[in-house]
Amino acid sequence: MRVTANMSAETSLYNIQQGRAKLDRLQELTSSGVIVNTPSDDPINTRLLLDISDKLRAGDQYTSNIQKSITWQQFTNAALTGMSDIMALAKKQVGTINSGSSDATVRQNAVLQLQALKQQLLDMGNMQLGDQYIFGGAINSTQPFSATAPYYAGDETALNVEISSNTTLQMNVPGNQVLTADTATSQPYGTTNILQAFDDLITAVNANDVAGIQAGSLALAAGAKQIQNAQSDVVSRLTRLDNAGKMNGNIRNTLETVYSNTQNVDYAKLAVQLNQQKLAYESSLSATAKLSQMSLLDYL
Amino acid sequence: MGLSTAMEIGKNGLNIYRVATEVTSENIANVNTPGYSRQRVILETSPPTTANGFPIGTGVRIAAVERYYDSLLQQQLVNAQTTQGYDTTKSTVLQQIEPTFNEVGSDGLGAAISNYFGAWQDLTLNPAGSAERQAVLSRAQILTDNFHSVSKALTDTISIQNDTLVPLTEDINATLNNIAQLNGQIKTTELVNGNANELRDQRDQLVRDLSQQIGITYKENSDGTTDISYADGGAALVTDTAVGSFSLTNNVGTGLYNVFVTQAGGGTALVTPKTGQLGAILELRDTIIPGYLSKVDDLANSMVSEVNAIHSTGFQQDAITAGTNFFSGTTAKDIALNISTTNQVAASGVAGLVGDSSNTLKLAQLQNKLTMSAGTTTFNSYYDSLVSQVGLDVQSSKNTEAQDIAFTKQLTTLRESNSGVSLDEELTNLIKYQRSYQASSKLITTATEMMDIVIGIIR
Repeated sequence: MRVTANMSAETSLYNIQQGRAKLDRLQELTSSGVIVNTPSDDPINTRLLLDISDKLRAGDQYTSNIQKSITWQQFTNAALTGMSDIMALAKKQVGTINSGSSDATVRQNAVLQLQALKQQLLDMGNMQLGDQYIFGGAINSTQPFSATAPYYAGDETALNVEISSNTTLQMNVPGNQVLTADTATSQPYGTTNILQAFDDLITAVNANDVAGIQAGSLALAAGAKQIQNAQSDVVSRLTRLDNAGKMNGNIRNTLETVYSNTQNVDYAKLAVQLNQQKLAYESSLSATAKLSQMSLLDYL
Repeated sequence: MGLSTAMEIGKNGLNIYRVATEVTSENIANVNTPGYSRQRVILETSPPTTANGFPIGTGVRIAAVERYYDSLLQQQLVNAQTTQGYDTTKSTVLQQIEPTFNEVGSDGLGAAISNYFGAWQDLTLNPAGSAERQAVLSRAQILTDNFHSVSKALTDTISIQNDTLVPLTEDINATLNNIAQLNGQIKTTELVNGNANELRDQRDQLVRDLSQQIGITYKENSDGTTDISYADGGAALVTDTAVGSFSLTNNVGTGLYNVFVTQAGGGTALVTPKTGQLGAILELRDTIIPGYLSKVDDLANSMVSEVNAIHSTGFQQDAITAGTNFFSGTTAKDIALNISTTNQVAASGVAGLVGDSSNTLKLAQLQNKLTMSAGTTTFNSYYDSLVSQVGLDVQSSKNTEAQDIAFTKQLTTLRESNSGVSLDEELTNLIKYQRSYQASSKLITTATEMMDIVIGIIR
């Protein structure tokens, strides 16, 4: 084949351009540290990376949901523990006058004690997290409990929160299921109306009605059991949330590993390639410079 | 046959080697001219005469000044240029669109979708919370902004492609006119004398330029002219010195240009270009980019209808007023928030229950619902596929372009090998012709000396 100087020049330019493009790509990889910088770098892995990113974002959201739910459960648990303590105190108080008393002062004392304990119970039932009443169900912007029948103004709506894809967990314990369970539609913990039991007890103590006091004592015992049931439900929810959180963390770790395996460059490999390419590029520059100077004109 | 014949031969030699040197100098001067084909002088012996019973030559003469030209290579180059023109245009424009979909490098529409549903998730934890409600509105606003920006980037590209048609068709028309003009000049020149080498080179170059812009077929006629037809539809663009043209009319329905071709010799018809730059621009304008746009529009439309369907069954913050549509619009361009205050966010699913989160939960769970492509993918996944598709299109067009360039380069090298000027070669020829010129003049001086001798005898 006949070769002209222009052909050599064209070929050199083409090859220099190719070399430069390769160097440029290696430079991009080195400086960015990631393999896929634009979707066209690797469309198939782009799909994978985007999917992982979506899942990681969803995972972040689930982590946030789980954290907030845990806080809610801890608040609920604290309130229920408080209620449980109050019930213990109330039972003790009732024990002192189990067989009635002819002394009006003693009875009066017991009544005052019971009234104070009932009020504490109500306060616990009206506990707030942020601006939400945790025992109010879906009517949680107003106080759910009041001192007089029917005591409960909230509702029984289950407030669900998503803790992993398509898995929801009930976050709240509706207050009536704990304190006024006989009026609740669903009665998972018991059927005792604790507040009513307090009021009945107070009436019985005032009237020195021994049978009434003993009945009240039994009701309190049943109520205490009811609160404990609610508490164990909350604790089991906490366990479930904890597990969901760990699971979520594991999934995140796995996804992040896959992501970085796909996306992060191997610097050692890159350094070697960069050196090779640099050498090739310099050689082509040098060869071009030397060869394109040659001409018959120099010898004429 | 006499001394004067020897002098005559010498004189001829001088003339011819001067012409040969001129051809060489033309070659040297045009060493870098695009499309130039090197020329050579074809020498042949002059017809012999018979002197003293022997046939003796009468020197040298020029048979022709020819250019090195390979018509097959020209044909292949024309075809390669058409493909390259198409692929380069497509690749360039697609690479301009790619950043709009570069979800890998930075957060875009995909992240906005995730964040939007994330805001609903946050609201499930506190359905009455004004901060959470505000976050839903803000995230929704960012989402619609992202839809608008993608839609605008795509429609802008469509209108830029449309506008590009104006200078492109003007350029094509100018080239067609030049070719027709050169046809006339070549025909006239060659009727009078020899080959119009330079004019032919110019025309070949114009034909190659033209073939980048549109697909053409051409035919070289015996009178030196070249007829050119349009590959998409076969309209005659240049016939002898008659020339056709491309014209654009605005289509009222689409607001975009329709392309018409007026044939050389009359008759205008609507054409659908599929080859060369013109074909690529129309394919980008009418098929590829509208394809992306319609997917983004589908996404926006489904987002609007799915969210609205749930949102409008809920209740606003007072838990009395029924929820309205959350979004308005049907496309990525016109999607907008239909509600403006946090009170209007229908978080509650039950009338009268302010703190109910059932509707919010349904909205949050939309993210994982198979809502797109006839219930087979989620919003995010659908968008991710689109990003991946754009990436694939860009990658394949880049690869095709690189192959085209390599192929054209190979053909150009072959053409250069045949027709390109080599300075070394020309310099060698120059020396050769110089020496021959010197020899011819030596012939004349020798003949003169001999003539002197003859004249001396007479004296």
